[in-house]
Amino acid sequence: MPRPLSRLLPIILLAMLAVSACQKEAEPTPNPAKTTLGTTDAAPPGALELVFPFGSEKQDWMEAVTAEFNAAGHESSSGKPIYVTLKPMGSGECMEEVRTGRIKANLVSPASGAFIELANAKNRTTTGKNLVEKADNLVMSPVIIAMWKPMAQAMGWPDKAIGWGDILEIAQSGEGWKKFGKPQWGKFRFGHTHPEFSNSGLISLLAEVYAANGKTRGLTREDVAKPETATYLEEIEQAVVHYGSSTGFFGKTMFNNGPSYLSAAVMYENMVIEATRGDYDLSMEVVAVYPKEGTFWSDHPCGVVNADWNDEEHRKAAQTFIDYLLEKPQQERAMEFGFRPADVQVPLAAPIDEAHGVNPKEPKTTLAVPGAEVMDDILKLWNKHKKHSNVIVVLDTSGSMQEEERMPNARLGAQEMLKLLHDEDVFSLLTFSNEMSWLSKGQPVGKKRDDLRSDIQGLFPEGRTRLYDSILEAHRYARSASGGNLITAIVVLTDGEDTLSKTTLTDLLRRISADENGDTVPVFTIGYSTGEDQNQKLDQIADRTRAKFFKGTPENIREVFKSISTFF
Amino acid sequence: MKDYEAYAETNSRKNIMLIGIAGVFCAVVAAIGVVAIFVGADLFGVGENTEAQGNSDSAEHTDAGPAITPDGEQIEIGIAYGTEKERWLKEAVTEWEKTPGARQVKVNLIPMGSIEGAHAVLAEDKRIHVWSPASSVYKDSFKVDWQLKFNGNPFYAEDILAISPMVFVMWEERYQEFIAKYGEVSFSTIEQALNEPGGWDAIAGKSDWGLFKFGHTHPNKSNSGLVSLILMAYDYHKKIKELTLKDILDPDFQTWFESLEKGVDYSVHSTGTLMKRMVQMGPSKFDCVMVYENVAMENVATAAGRWGDIRVVYPERNVLNDNPYYILNVPWSDDAHKKAAKVFLDFLMSERIQRLSLNHGFRPGNVRVPIKFAGSMFNDLAGYGIKVDLNTVCEPPTGAVLTNIQDNWQRRHGR
Repeated sequence: MPRPLSRLLPIILLAMLAVSACQKEAEPTPNPAKTTLGTTDAAPPGALELVFPFGSEKQDWMEAVTAEFNAAGHESSSGKPIYVTLKPMGSGECMEEVRTGRIKANLVSPASGAFIELANAKNRTTTGKNLVEKADNLVMSPVIIAMWKPMAQAMGWPDKAIGWGDILEIAQSGEGWKKFGKPQWGKFRFGHTHPEFSNSGLISLLAEVYAANGKTRGLTREDVAKPETATYLEEIEQAVVHYGSSTGFFGKTMFNNGPSYLSAAVMYENMVIEATRGDYDLSMEVVAVYPKEGTFWSDHPCGVVNADWNDEEHRKAAQTFIDYLLEKPQQERAMEFGFRPADVQVPLAAPIDEAHGVNPKEPKTTLAVPGAEVMDDILKLWNKHKKHSNVIVVLDTSGSMQEEERMPNARLGAQEMLKLLHDEDVFSLLTFSNEMSWLSKGQPVGKKRDDLRSDIQGLFPEGRTRLYDSILEAHRYARSASGGNLITAIVVLTDGEDTLSKTTLTDLLRRISADENGDTVPVFTIGYSTGEDQNQKLDQIADRTRAKFFKGTPENIREVFKSISTFF
Repeated sequence: MKDYEAYAETNSRKNIMLIGIAGVFCAVVAAIGVVAIFVGADLFGVGENTEAQGNSDSAEHTDAGPAITPDGEQIEIGIAYGTEKERWLKEAVTEWEKTPGARQVKVNLIPMGSIEGAHAVLAEDKRIHVWSPASSVYKDSFKVDWQLKFNGNPFYAEDILAISPMVFVMWEERYQEFIAKYGEVSFSTIEQALNEPGGWDAIAGKSDWGLFKFGHTHPNKSNSGLVSLILMAYDYHKKIKELTLKDILDPDFQTWFESLEKGVDYSVHSTGTLMKRMVQMGPSKFDCVMVYENVAMENVATAAGRWGDIRVVYPERNVLNDNPYYILNVPWSDDAHKKAAKVFLDFLMSERIQRLSLNHGFRPGNVRVPIKFAGSMFNDLAGYGIKVDLNTVCEPPTGAVLTNIQDNWQRRHGR
């Protein structure tokens, strides 16, 4: 089923407006444990509070410098202490929350100027004025391909410049690392985010189409319409492990799981530097490959919000904070977190260097952003030729699901996911309480969408929780059904502890973990109003299968299912 | 007040735009170089600033001076200025705030593109009491627009703060390859490079440098973008004055102009920001830009700290950007605002503050301040291509020609 146009338009507009690289959407569900004293807490009484939503990729830097700002006793024009409350989130989400007034922000900073252009264009339509009149870039980071150093070397790096075309050629060939005399490394596993949700995914897709046509500028609708372009795109996408809305998640999973999980992934330069700082137990060194055909920049603009709720005193205080962020000490600090300072008077120094896997003299060129019509055609082409999915939903229907409207909301969430799947995708539904029950198994969505929707609507809660047996059953089926042509994944929703299974957690973890070749089926888990102890177990299950754990509530469960659907 | 009026009258006589001078005497200037410009400046009246200079220098060292407002309360003035002057003006305001005069006059700097500043005044942006674009090239167009809307002369007084010609800036490594292929950097060779199907691969066998990338600012927002288009027209027609409508509408020129402009990145609205983007993103974003000389000079060290050395090249035909300071005669600016704006102008023209402008790559408007001496940036940066003597200086085109250049560009590029 094609994606609704309303979802495509912002991406098309963003791409049309982009003049530099764009950064990803944030983690779909921000980690609630991730708070920093003094920056996300409530403002102290008597303080002038500045609410500051921003692209979460610069969260670590922002938290470090904001804590110091809050402690330094800066005063507003009326003499109140200024206190900045940070709200890290995805860049698109961040601008939309401010534009609609859901977050009454005083200043804002997405990952790319394109987001501000888009929000201004929308705001002019509704209010006749720009949402942000003037913005200054805070930090810079280019889009790169992160690779394991020995793998990059096997491809001839650094003597030979590697490009999108080279990456795509190995992805396309199907030979894997055998092509470079390293059969022991197995398949070439490639990762980029979902191009309809994340700009790094969109950039990857553009690069693929450019490479298919041997161009770096002047891509036309005719180029996109060529049968060879479709074939090229489809063959490359077969190497994709899965998609997703978060570039950060790709980085985290790649660095945690090593080369058997991902050979290469599209991300941001600062993430490679982060990986080399000792936060991960890396089995191989990682390096940033700057594609020889060109790439894009992420420029992190920051500006005062032009809205009625932002009075003169708050605006002046917001400007004081922006000026503070642009001062030399804070700009130098940004480098510690892997960003290139926007203040050009700060020379680049460690860790922006080869010792940390990056090259300060790169990139050498950038790719041109095609026009809106071409972009629209590319997204349509991708939807047709992307790697399709085989999704197995494992749904808890135990008695406790009748509490707090959990069941009706879980039904809506599962139906939302079904709506977002393509006709070519395959869907299975396994429910469990006292017993397990396959309501559908390996059904192509296109023909059965309405039937599947009815099956979900007919679910009701009763009985106990046979969780681990059900996950194992789904995993067995998924392993037998998984092939090279589909992204196979399991999505488990439960609201409580296992109370009935013969399978223990230890046994389950052992049997679903990735094998020596790195192969497994990812199990995305949703702890639905569950306690901390159960969340930890679900997190372990997701982690062992290189997937992700989400915290769900009746209020956010539809969003959680939508977020998971971006992986396919 | 009487003294001030006398000063203003003298000043208005002597404030002949340097571009105008250069236009009238461009043949002489072309022959004897920029030394003549500065000698000429003295000859033709700009040098009379020295009298005012003496006044302003002494004013700088007095206390807060006579009251500007009847009750002696502090008054705020806003200066809309182009970002090419940002670092100097910020430094000047910091110095101003240390003087007793700051008790009476608070200066708010409002950064915007030169032409954006004119549009803001026309839109009655009441924050603005002084408009200080990069050059007087747009002055007549602004005056006509103002008179169509409001009647009267929008200018109360004016002076030339500092001078800066246009330059091409390239990355040294790429400059060497470019010169090896084309022999010179000019609009003609840039047009050729932009149209090389293989980009740098065809130019220098460097496929990983991608396509050749050239940028100037948006010509309907920023002075340097507009001046770039003027220089393209002069260059194509091999002229230095009397650019006509016929020249602009000439089909061959239009074809060449479009062939050049279709490959240009003009997305940035101010010159300081364009140069900053070049340094931030390096040759991945721009191989070459056209900016003011001072902006290039200010960034020699910053560029070296990021990507490597830059090379400055002066176009064969140039325009001197005179950075005028227009005290506006607009309904929201009363006598006290005008007087305060004049007091700050005197401060900017003082030798001490003019010397600061030299540190930012400007050729000071106060001709008492020399530019060529041991330790001067103009000496120190000679190795990067900086030079005091210029080639040929062109006269600014008429308002009608200017409007046509802008309209012609707008029609083709529509943004």
